[in-house]
Amino acid sequence: MTGTHPNRFPVISLTYREGDLIIKQGDYGISIYKIVKGRVFVFKESGDKEIALTTLNPGDIFGEIAFLNRDRETRSASARALEETELEVWHPSMLSKEYQEMPPMLKYVVDQLLTRLLRMGQVLVQMSDQEEKRRKAAKKRDPFVSERCYYRKAVDLECYYRPAALSPKARLSGRIKDISLSGVGMEIAVRNASNHSHMESDLFVLNTVLPNGKDLELKAKIVSLNQSETPEKLLMGMTFIELTENAKKVLGFFLMA
Amino acid sequence: MDITPFMQIYLSAEETYESGDIIIEEGSRGNWVYVVLAGKVKVTKRTEVGIVTMDTLKQGAVFGEMAMLGKFMDGRSASVIAADGPVKLGVLNFELLRRDYDSLSPRLKLLIDALIVRLKECNERVAAFVVAANPKNRGEK
Repeated sequence: MTGTHPNRFPVISLTYREGDLIIKQGDYGISIYKIVKGRVFVFKESGDKEIALTTLNPGDIFGEIAFLNRDRETRSASARALEETELEVWHPSMLSKEYQEMPPMLKYVVDQLLTRLLRMGQVLVQMSDQEEKRRKAAKKRDPFVSERCYYRKAVDLECYYRPAALSPKARLSGRIKDISLSGVGMEIAVRNASNHSHMESDLFVLNTVLPNGKDLELKAKIVSLNQSETPEKLLMGMTFIELTENAKKVLGFFLMA
Repeated sequence: MDITPFMQIYLSAEETYESGDIIIEEGSRGNWVYVVLAGKVKVTKRTEVGIVTMDTLKQGAVFGEMAMLGKFMDGRSASVIAADGPVKLGVLNFELLRRDYDSLSPRLKLLIDALIVRLKECNERVAAFVVAANPKNRGEK
């Protein structure tokens, strides 16, 4: 057999800078790369989206799927250098002969592995696409949903609140420590919790005045209750159940400012 | 299924399972490698939203091969359950397979290792997406 002598294909070294694309999904190529130095991010591309598969370190190899999947020698994923990266490039001929001559049962097992990996890779892309669709749909329903976390603001606001089931006469007090479009973090006295039920998912109506003078009434439920660093105080995490259009506007404006 | 001659010498036993029987349990120790001779098996993973079916394997499929690496100290990475019984499995001689593997060059071994790790990672990613898609059920199981 000619052309398969290992020495005819010396190992080549390549260096990439941070951010360089090493392999592009869909391109032709069957070389295998071994990381000598640096880190490599492997991802699938679906539309504009990058779906993370793994991050590889020195000693790891990549590019092996196109080598094994001879029916379709295009790259099944992309790889990008996360930092300055040195690679050892293996010419496919260095392995082809040995691969072909591998004990047939072992080769069968490897083929099975490959088939399953390719199938799971497709499942992964499908699931990621579905996830994106769902996220987009959620965003359309409520433009605040996907951005709310960016707007969380630390505050110190006096707040009156009452169990939603009780009449407005019942009045407990607390201090809102942070607020976002999705909820508040509030510090309350321990005794509040001994006078009225403060259990997870209990509903409350909150009344406060924002620093800009705007009144706010909110309906929220408890999602967490923890000891505060201040003695005799509890920290209560609450999620808004419903925000009126007006409350959303007032709060949104305050959080953006 | 017709057993190819090369597979014949690796077959050390045959086992039969009824639908729902657990063949491999996630997290358990063991290095049996199986080939599906008849029927179908389900590959499942435990997640925080319950048990998720990752894949269904048919006649001819090999599973349990990740044990070949002998690297995963945390036990089997997924459960395998008989899906469409009676399921007939061939038990492959692990020692023989392992000897084949050990006879390979370091490069080819690295290649097989990479493939196994990749499949394990890919399964974990898929499981993570399933969890993300089912936030309502979080906390169950």
